[in-house]
Amino acid sequence: MASSSLFRSLPISLLYCILLTPIPLYFYWGTVDQLGPDPLRSLEHKYGELGLIFLLATLSISPLFKYAKINLVRYRRCIGLVAFYYIVSHICVYFFLDIGLSIDILLSDLQKRYYIIAGFFAFITLIPLALTSNNFALRKLNIKTWNKIHSFVYIAIILSIFHFILMSKTWTVELYFYTGITTFILILKIKSTKLYKKLSTYSNADISK
Amino acid sequence: MKVLKYSDVTPQNLYLNRRKFVEALGLTSLALVASPTTAKQKYSTSAKPNTIDEITNYNNFYEFGTSKTDPAKYAHSLTTDPWEITFEGVAQNKKKYDLAEILKGKAIQERIYRLRCVEGWSMVIPWIGFPLRDLINELEVNNNAKFVAFETVYRPTEMRGQKRATLDWPYREGLTMDEALHPLTFIATGLYGKELPNQNGAPFRLVVPWKYGFKSIKSITKISFMEEQPYTTWSSENPREYGFYSNVNPNVDHPRWSQATERVIGEGLFGKRRKTELFNGYIEEVGDLYKGMDLKKYY
Repeated sequence: MASSSLFRSLPISLLYCILLTPIPLYFYWGTVDQLGPDPLRSLEHKYGELGLIFLLATLSISPLFKYAKINLVRYRRCIGLVAFYYIVSHICVYFFLDIGLSIDILLSDLQKRYYIIAGFFAFITLIPLALTSNNFALRKLNIKTWNKIHSFVYIAIILSIFHFILMSKTWTVELYFYTGITTFILILKIKSTKLYKKLSTYSNADISK
Repeated sequence: MKVLKYSDVTPQNLYLNRRKFVEALGLTSLALVASPTTAKQKYSTSAKPNTIDEITNYNNFYEFGTSKTDPAKYAHSLTTDPWEITFEGVAQNKKKYDLAEILKGKAIQERIYRLRCVEGWSMVIPWIGFPLRDLINELEVNNNAKFVAFETVYRPTEMRGQKRATLDWPYREGLTMDEALHPLTFIATGLYGKELPNQNGAPFRLVVPWKYGFKSIKSITKISFMEEQPYTTWSSENPREYGFYSNVNPNVDHPRWSQATERVIGEGLFGKRRKTELFNGYIEEVGDLYKGMDLKKYY
């Protein structure tokens, strides 16, 4: 219990520092030839994968609380924003380094390449969530509207997984793994919404968070 | 049944010479580098080769896993000696040859070739080996053969990636007879003047520099000459995305990504993309093979 309470008292700012450190660290490793023969692709994939991991972590917080009684709800905003920053970094590597700031390639990719279209819309979907993640927006917005906006995260995760599937040549272990976890979380979510309607009396406490 | 060892069936001088022979390839290649009048100059690119570190640590060899670093980690488990190659579609009675028999008498040379992967990256690799035509010319190939099919070894106990159905094993590739007999089409048995590392397709692999890398099949155990176009792994896996020909072509995109440019391995994080060339820059040598062919249709 001691470690658990220690974890619970972890200051949010420290958590941000820890979770975001890999962004500059991987970039630095990339510049000093520590990311293998293809550092650009490594960096791009690392940021993308970590973005996906943190997105899934954010989505796990409700089910963890509900089914395992582990309460990490107070870290959810931080983890969600961290996911967003990784995704922004991922897109920056694509735009600045991979396609070398070429608007032509960007536009043609957005017309022709399904995985880029899926990834782009996943990112667009997450922007309103990031913008309304602050206390000011929480106070200003009606809780129902706020919840609706933040349920976009489920659209984003589906698009992200499609982005991953569409860019892959075959079904790798990683692809099965992330698609499996996403499916599992989505099933829990769907189950909980039905339950919510039927048994709203005792479950609304943890669900609408 | 008594299991025959390689040393039981191979004359000792040949058995011992095998390693020496492979070592000698290094010297041969040095000799070639030193002499400007050899075939090397004719077919090799003047581009700077990638480092051995890059070439041996960034591989697509799904038999050992789907990550680029898996082959370097796991390919050591493959036994490449003894190695037998079976021929089909040949008239001669003897169909199975030990690698040493095949290599005997072959003029070993170095070829510095561009390699363009269908994924959109490229390298420059100094191979050691001999033109495939030198081997084909020694065989009594059936007259009606129009295609050559190649097969990678299937050995899940030694190739951990084959335990999963990532692809329909064994890996298979093929060429038309004209392509196979082209002087650029090469069998590599070495790299950088040394024995071919396992992750690069030891002990015997194909190198077709004007086609996407997946056509250059690794660790070959079977070569068949046939009338019909053979089954090829990637084009069967996804016919819309991978064709039988798979010639490097910047004007025909992969359905999911562009083939107009390539990332040059070794250029680092801030490296500039290179414009991909038709037939990977070997248009002068191979352009005639595809004269009048609709390259958009036969991708």
